[in-house]
Amino acid sequence: MPSKVMKIGIVCPYGWDAPGGVQAHIRDLSEYLINAGHVVSVLAPAVDEELLPSYVVSAGKPIAIPYNGAVARILFGPIAFARVRQWISQGDFDVLHLHEPAIPSLSLLACWAAEGPMVGTFHAASKKQKAIYAIGPILEPVIEKLSARIAVSEAARSTLTDHLETDAIVIPNGIYASKFAAGKQKEEWGGNSLGFIGRFDEPRKGLSVLLDALAQVAKSIPDLRVLVAGPGDSEEVLEGIDLQLRKRITFLGRLSEEEKADFLSSVAIYVAPNTGGESFGIILAEAMAAGTACVASDIPAFVSLLGDGRWGALFTSEDSADLALSLITLLQDDEVRLNLAQAGQIHAEVFDWDNVASQIISVYEMATVGGRRVRLASDSRPWNRFISREAK
Amino acid sequence: MKTSFVIVLLTLLFLWYLSFSATRLDRLHLRVETSWANLDGLLQRRAAVALELAHSEMADPASSLLLTAAAYQAREAQISVRSLAESGLSGALGLLQNDLGQEIHPAEAALLKELSDLTEKIRVAIAFHVDAVSRTRLVRQKLIFKLFRLAGRAPLPVTYEFEDDVL
Repeated sequence: MPSKVMKIGIVCPYGWDAPGGVQAHIRDLSEYLINAGHVVSVLAPAVDEELLPSYVVSAGKPIAIPYNGAVARILFGPIAFARVRQWISQGDFDVLHLHEPAIPSLSLLACWAAEGPMVGTFHAASKKQKAIYAIGPILEPVIEKLSARIAVSEAARSTLTDHLETDAIVIPNGIYASKFAAGKQKEEWGGNSLGFIGRFDEPRKGLSVLLDALAQVAKSIPDLRVLVAGPGDSEEVLEGIDLQLRKRITFLGRLSEEEKADFLSSVAIYVAPNTGGESFGIILAEAMAAGTACVASDIPAFVSLLGDGRWGALFTSEDSADLALSLITLLQDDEVRLNLAQAGQIHAEVFDWDNVASQIISVYEMATVGGRRVRLASDSRPWNRFISREAK
Repeated sequence: MKTSFVIVLLTLLFLWYLSFSATRLDRLHLRVETSWANLDGLLQRRAAVALELAHSEMADPASSLLLTAAAYQAREAQISVRSLAESGLSGALGLLQNDLGQEIHPAEAALLKELSDLTEKIRVAIAFHVDAVSRTRLVRQKLIFKLFRLAGRAPLPVTYEFEDDVL
């Protein structure tokens, strides 16, 4: 049991029903906190209120908007704002944890409406966002209400310092390391196999970089195979690939969570050839926890996740020849590969929820020193106290 | 008629903005206070742990004396020299931790564990406090805050010089 039970309100900016890294992070964190004895309420946009777990409160249906190169399911507007205010005033929280408060969605609304101990987590990392620059001055007074800022990676942190001139401490995303360490090695996925998980028809996931490297690797490694898991159109990807190489490539479709652990434990090397748009790379942490050697492109998020190559090999992003070289070295020398995998698995403990959640809880404790609780900001303004309809 | 209406509207808007800015600054001052209270508490706890370590069997007489002196200095320091005193304590603790040779008594191992947990927390607390202070100072430098003396009589928060590597 925790030394002090806290009442924590977490705000999720994206639609709860849609798959996504932020939602998964909030789900795991909430469940961890609840298991640790804390009281948690999550406010999130949701399409179907029936399907929500008991700790999630719906704020209404999300709107799909193209944002930052993908479709974001977010929610704002007067009705959503009223819901946020109601949730805050009824919740009587010790601390609010807002995810992505710089995005025009629920978290920003909550940051605007609330006052008191607030923690913000910034997930996104991107080089330039003109929109953010433009609304920076408006955002500033809102964001500065946060008593503590968390960035999920060094890349996310530098985005934050560039755009909003504010610093943050880095606490990585969490994984259940033991679940991946317990993955079973399956023969069908074993041998000299390269693993890839993700929506492979998105160019920024970089599957084409890996496929371009195949011909070169196959010359040195005759029994090379590539196993691709995840949703997408495989026909489109295979077009233009040499027929000889095609039979080495297997598409597995979407994997369940258990299958994913087995998959990551079975493949010889997990390859993350992403060309950008990645702020953390949770899948690499999971592959490391499963005890598999990783090879990743040298985009900032991966460089910091793999400790400059200490816990996994890096290749020059979008350079297939460099990737091929790195793969051949690792596949030909079992000892080097196993050592790398072992170093990665030991390091992956850092990302375990036990570790990550205790850091987050200690940030909550720091934000709540002084014993103030979360309240509506408007309550403390004199004229609102005077005219407010909510006055008791 | 119309112009006077516009003038009244603009004045009201400006007054609202002033009040909004004052609330904003007030909130920042509160944030500085909270983060300092937090940091101060953690530093006090560290000094207490240091004293306990100094009185344990782990410390030889010389380092015990050094540690005790540093811990008292850190506890009693004025805010302007606090960071210096705390760095001194960090140094003394570092010396002790560096020459841990023999096996350690479980009670002392627990103390050392508490110390390393505290150090981790202090590092985070410093980051929060520095951010709050620099943000507040930045806002107070803006023209409108100076012109209308929105800070009132609140003292300018002191930047707390910390060298990260001494921790």
